[in-house]
Amino acid sequence: MLLQQVVNGLTLGAVYTLVALGFSLVMGILGVLNLAIAELFMIGGYVGLTLVLADYPLPVAVLAAAGVAAVLGVVVEKVAYQPLRRAPPIAPLLSTLGCSVILQTVAVNIWGSDPLQLPPDLLDMRFDLGQASIGLAQVVIIAVAVLLVAILALLVQRSSVGQALRAIAENRDVARLLGVNAGRLTSAAFAISGALAGIAGVLIGLHYAAITPYVGVETGLKAIAVMVIGGTTSIWGVLLAGPLVGLVEVFSVVHGGAAFRDFAVYGLMILVLLLRPQGLLGGRAAGAQRV
Amino acid sequence: MLEIEGLEVSYGPIRAVKGIDLRVGTGEIVALIGANGAGKSSTVKALAGLLPYAGRASWNGRPLPHAPEAVLRAGIALVPEGRGILQRMTVEENLRLGAYARQDRGALTADIEAQMDRFPILRKRRGGLAGLLSGGEQQMLAIARALLSRPRLLVLDEPSLGLAPLMVEQVFALISELRAGGLSILLVEQKARQTLRVADHAFLLETGRMRASGTPDELAASPALAEAFLGGIAPAA
Repeated sequence: MLLQQVVNGLTLGAVYTLVALGFSLVMGILGVLNLAIAELFMIGGYVGLTLVLADYPLPVAVLAAAGVAAVLGVVVEKVAYQPLRRAPPIAPLLSTLGCSVILQTVAVNIWGSDPLQLPPDLLDMRFDLGQASIGLAQVVIIAVAVLLVAILALLVQRSSVGQALRAIAENRDVARLLGVNAGRLTSAAFAISGALAGIAGVLIGLHYAAITPYVGVETGLKAIAVMVIGGTTSIWGVLLAGPLVGLVEVFSVVHGGAAFRDFAVYGLMILVLLLRPQGLLGGRAAGAQRV
Repeated sequence: MLEIEGLEVSYGPIRAVKGIDLRVGTGEIVALIGANGAGKSSTVKALAGLLPYAGRASWNGRPLPHAPEAVLRAGIALVPEGRGILQRMTVEENLRLGAYARQDRGALTADIEAQMDRFPILRKRRGGLAGLLSGGEQQMLAIARALLSRPRLLVLDEPSLGLAPLMVEQVFALISELRAGGLSILLVEQKARQTLRVADHAFLLETGRMRASGTPDELAASPALAEAFLGGIAPAA
């Protein structure tokens, strides 16, 4: 029973991690919370599940969802962030919220407000783990999440593009003085965060075998909680907090009922904010100017 | 050669630089000196593409680009005031970013090793966070990082700021050494006497206007220098 809940919690946590990484990437570089990511997650889910229902292979559905969400991510950047770059931070926050509402309305008009459901026999194979079992969909979700996290970590830590992104995050002017095209890389960050959210949308669709136009709000808020708990701009913090929130959610349902679930997750977020405002792995810069 | 005519920099309604002319010839050290608030940093930020400006600026006969990345690609590297070290990145990552805009990345490893030969402390600390370096070490890193872009003109904005006297001597010795290697340097400083000792030509900026210019000897003898800094009392070395 315990092992089963751990498996279920890690599956949910994998999805939250991907969406939270999308939030964290943009937050780290621009200091802006891109609220449209939650609906890119939902749109990605719809695109992926629509293709799966049309008998396209799952990898094609995942890549298409990533592509559509990435393009929409860049559109959000051009429309809702770029013109407001010098405005107070509340302005792009509200404009991305506006994009979020528009994207949800578009989804309702295209796919309707009823859930889009997958056939129950899709990915219904299960593997025994002693007293627990893990479904094929759960294996796919965890494997894809681990693979994407590894790719993102390599990109950010090892590649010159990743180093340039980190440089922009720390000091945009200095990065530009070093020859970094901050505008182009900002668009790239919106695209990457959109792609991560889009793929996560397909994964959550596989997990519940359905998707609705309203799934983005709930999962998006959980992902924001993950980002806050881990440390707003800390990718490693998100990797810790994502599975943690998934486990807290599943165990709180088991021991307190469904009504206790959000209380536990957001209660944990408030507790972390009170005790460690920078998040579990968030830290301060390496030091002030030294002599 | 860098040539500037009638450069003006404004922050909203406030004009920080009020129409200055400046010239940096090939292989020269040109000093731009002035007290706090004279407009020195605004001038170099504008030239580096970080601030909009009015007036004419040309580099080797062509208009100077207005975006920082384009200015760097044209061959002008700025070491900003406060060093601009990326503190949450390692020393080696800072150095690699210095060559980010370079096309010939094949020679990068050798060039980084050459900078570490020049500044051995950077080799010792290559894997450590740059923010943990001392002020002097950070200045070495900032200069090494700028040199990795292979600039033809190096702009140094107050490289001695906040450094211990011994370290200041080392920085000025390094500047002379770089010029001897053929690099053109625009040196922005408050330490007037020390700066004039290494410069080929100097400009004195006061409240956004060019107060005087000439050879170091001419400027050192000018009463304008003392007035600009201390209202008539000669500035310390």
